[in-house]
Amino acid sequence: MVKFIKMNVSRAMSKRWAQQCVFNRIVTFSTKPTQHAAAVSEPAAEQKTVSTPAAAAAQPATTTPAPTTARKPIVPSNYRFIYPEFLPDPKVEWRNPIREKLERLDMLDRRRQIDLPEFYVGSIMAVTSSDPHAAGKTSRFVGICINRDRCGLRSRFVLRNVIDHQGMEVVYELYDPTIQKVEVLRLEKRLDDNLFYLRDALPEYSTFDENMEAEHLEEGAPVPVNDIKVVLRPRPWLERWERQNLLGVANIDQYIKDKHRKSAERVQKPWEKFDMMKQYRSTIPEEEQKEVFAEVHTELHSMELQRKRNKRKRTFVKPKQLA
Amino acid sequence: MNQADVTKLISQLRIAVRPSQRNLKNSDGPEGRLLKLRKTVTALMKHERIELYYNRADEARGYAELVRIISNGYNISSLHSIPIPKQLISNAIRHGDRHKATMELADYWLLEKQLVHKLFKVLVPRYENYNVSYTRMYRAPRDYPGMYYRQSVLELRGNPYPSLVMDQSHNRNLLHNVLLDEARKEFRRKKLADLVN
Repeated sequence: MVKFIKMNVSRAMSKRWAQQCVFNRIVTFSTKPTQHAAAVSEPAAEQKTVSTPAAAAAQPATTTPAPTTARKPIVPSNYRFIYPEFLPDPKVEWRNPIREKLERLDMLDRRRQIDLPEFYVGSIMAVTSSDPHAAGKTSRFVGICINRDRCGLRSRFVLRNVIDHQGMEVVYELYDPTIQKVEVLRLEKRLDDNLFYLRDALPEYSTFDENMEAEHLEEGAPVPVNDIKVVLRPRPWLERWERQNLLGVANIDQYIKDKHRKSAERVQKPWEKFDMMKQYRSTIPEEEQKEVFAEVHTELHSMELQRKRNKRKRTFVKPKQLA
Repeated sequence: MNQADVTKLISQLRIAVRPSQRNLKNSDGPEGRLLKLRKTVTALMKHERIELYYNRADEARGYAELVRIISNGYNISSLHSIPIPKQLISNAIRHGDRHKATMELADYWLLEKQLVHKLFKVLVPRYENYNVSYTRMYRAPRDYPGMYYRQSVLELRGNPYPSLVMDQSHNRNLLHNVLLDEARKEFRRKKLADLVN
């Protein structure tokens, strides 16, 4: 029995050494089995160490250090909203687990270089990117995020603003190396999944000041939902907004005729909310999401903590001008 | 490259899911497909074992599983590998909303309303601790001469009917049966030797 325990201990030790020695990248590939193995052989190791923690500290060569157990990370449930691009493509034909994993590593690498804050469709952002044609070789664009799409390294978002009475939209790839800085000036959501209808709305709804200052949101507060109703300009429109059941538009009824109303009714698909398989095929199942986020959670969490620390530092140092 | 829809959180199905759906032949289009499958799902819940064409069975199977998962998942946390604390779930509004949505789904998918009771009172407790899929599908022989479509049998697990597959565990050529036989023989031999001595 004693022999058996010893064997277990040595096996656990070798596992741990292997974990420490192996290059970090490779460990992330095989996190699951190694963690599991460590957790399985842990009780045997603990039996020895718990009774004499001082001795364990004194002779680390013979007994394993107990406190660094492989504790399961608790992934917050809102990660799928904050980091939707980490989830793989729901289209099965385009799945490739190895590519997805490599992409996730690259995304984390990029996030280590640049702070990519949490944002949603409807948030107002400023993106500074390299531009060879700009005066200072960089350009800063402020606008409202009207759409987020694609996943993995290709994930992108669209910013919209009205500059000199001209609507401007810029599509940024989130992990584009030419992006130098991403700031969220106002963190909020809107009622709809995308805000393409701003293209047909009055310009004041997509006009934002270029020198706008970042608004501070209290820590731990839920992201506010802006339930503003946008006023559209008269037809012709770029899309048939009356068919899309938009929540953030005030005056669609004002401009459409009966024939539009009828055709909109004809193309409605009320049965789709009962088509669970369709929903299933458009999502990533819960278990898979958990796996993905368990893999990247520790890194992302430490980055979040770093960001919080930086923010606090900045707010403390900055002197306030009074009068 | 699409982004996964994150507004809904659905448990993983324990069956193989085809990448795309089959458009079952019907005159009413996509809605007619669901109306057709609704009948199949209702029949499956009612009779627990039905024989039908393979394609329709395969399509209906996913819906039957999901009806179960959804009716299961929102009041019991057994489907989650890590149990979620009660406070998190019983966010009053959310729970009520969820419950309502679940009832709406059950109401749509089960044409006979007594089956809604069966779903929540019989089937949900039955599958509470299942680690496998809730339905089972067999390929059945097609009748000859007749329609060329593949036939299948779709059933709920844990149904009261006799099993459709033969029980092979008593086959004497199975390794563990061979070993058991030998052990038995050896035991008898030992006993004989004891008696003789």
